[in-house]
Amino acid sequence: MSAINRAPKESISRSTGSGVIAAVCSACAALLVLGFPGPARSQAQPPAKSQTKAVPYPGAVRPTTAPPPGPSGPVPRMRDGKPDLSGMWNGQRPLPNQPDPEMLPWAAALTKERTENYSADDPEARCLPGGVPRSAPYHTQYVQTLKLLLMLVEGNIHSFRQIFLDRTAHPKNVGQLWYGDSIGQWDGDTLVVDTVGFNDRFWFDMAGHPHTTQLHVIERYHRRDYGNMEIQVTIEDPGAYSKPWVSNRVATLETQIDMSEYVCNENNSDALHLVGK
Amino acid sequence: MRPKSILFATAAAALFVIPLLAHHSFEAEYDFNKPVKFTGTVTKMEWMNPHAHFYVDVKDENGKVTNWNCELGAIPVLLKQGWRKDSLKAGDQITVEGFLPKDGTRAMANARRVTLADGRRVFGGSSADVGNQ
Repeated sequence: MSAINRAPKESISRSTGSGVIAAVCSACAALLVLGFPGPARSQAQPPAKSQTKAVPYPGAVRPTTAPPPGPSGPVPRMRDGKPDLSGMWNGQRPLPNQPDPEMLPWAAALTKERTENYSADDPEARCLPGGVPRSAPYHTQYVQTLKLLLMLVEGNIHSFRQIFLDRTAHPKNVGQLWYGDSIGQWDGDTLVVDTVGFNDRFWFDMAGHPHTTQLHVIERYHRRDYGNMEIQVTIEDPGAYSKPWVSNRVATLETQIDMSEYVCNENNSDALHLVGK
Repeated sequence: MRPKSILFATAAAALFVIPLLAHHSFEAEYDFNKPVKFTGTVTKMEWMNPHAHFYVDVKDENGKVTNWNCELGAIPVLLKQGWRKDSLKAGDQITVEGFLPKDGTRAMANARRVTLADGRRVFGGSSADVGNQ
């Protein structure tokens, strides 16, 4: 029932995005009607056919509107005058109308295969790290010092990234890591994070975009104001992509809740039921 | 700062302001063509990662009781929707609307909507409603 099998690519972007919005609006409207919808039934029974709603395959969803902004206010600064990125940030969200990646044939074929199998083999569903720079519903706590930016990652597994602000080169033989080796330098008020040394195991997204160990990620973090972070991600991987893949995202400051303890393998019973097609 | 309001008061608004992404693809596990709806008695809440679950005793026409395993969303998402560990308690009478797994597992459902005993119909943080990137 994948829309990908039925519609040309251009129409997928539009139809799935609007479909999600319609689904969310419909659901919200239902939620706002707080009265009990009818007499309770005491047994499992098939619902009316009209309850079967075609929901677009998540891997194909593209945002059609920018997410709502976070709280406004002045940018906090470190004692050296640089922006302080510290804070608990919601998961990065892509902006609308981002370009599609230009993939080498093998990467395009693999992405298609993964998508058509409903991402059943997604490493993230097996509680492996999401790598860099996968968007996720989880929060990230940034803790900045003059020499180091720590990103404490809530999920997909509890983990952390280290971005070294006090060196300008990667060590030799970094290895093949889930989060790579990251160094950060300031370009005005924008922190430019350069990361190499990746393994080839994580997916960039649920659509299943792959990469190789040649991956080089450049992230530009600009705390526009107190509660809004602009993030530009450039993916360079000549082993999988014919040109750099640039996407723009935003993250907003979370002020309502604390980070959760998220031990993914605590009860990952889903892994037993991911059958795909 | 912690929320002063509890239990779903901001659920509708929250849906618009947070990225409701999933730990796994909904359609890798569940089937949109197999919706299910049932009413029963909560026996247990599992407030665990990567997804919370609750269990419901459902009685059929012959009086046979089956314990249904119902999957909710990820806890960080549920917290933003107003769910808490004790949102469902053993003994609560609820109605669940959701979807069955593709692999034919019996008495298991992805809980898309939950109607509480007081009539409130709330989201389950289901990956059926989410987008992924």
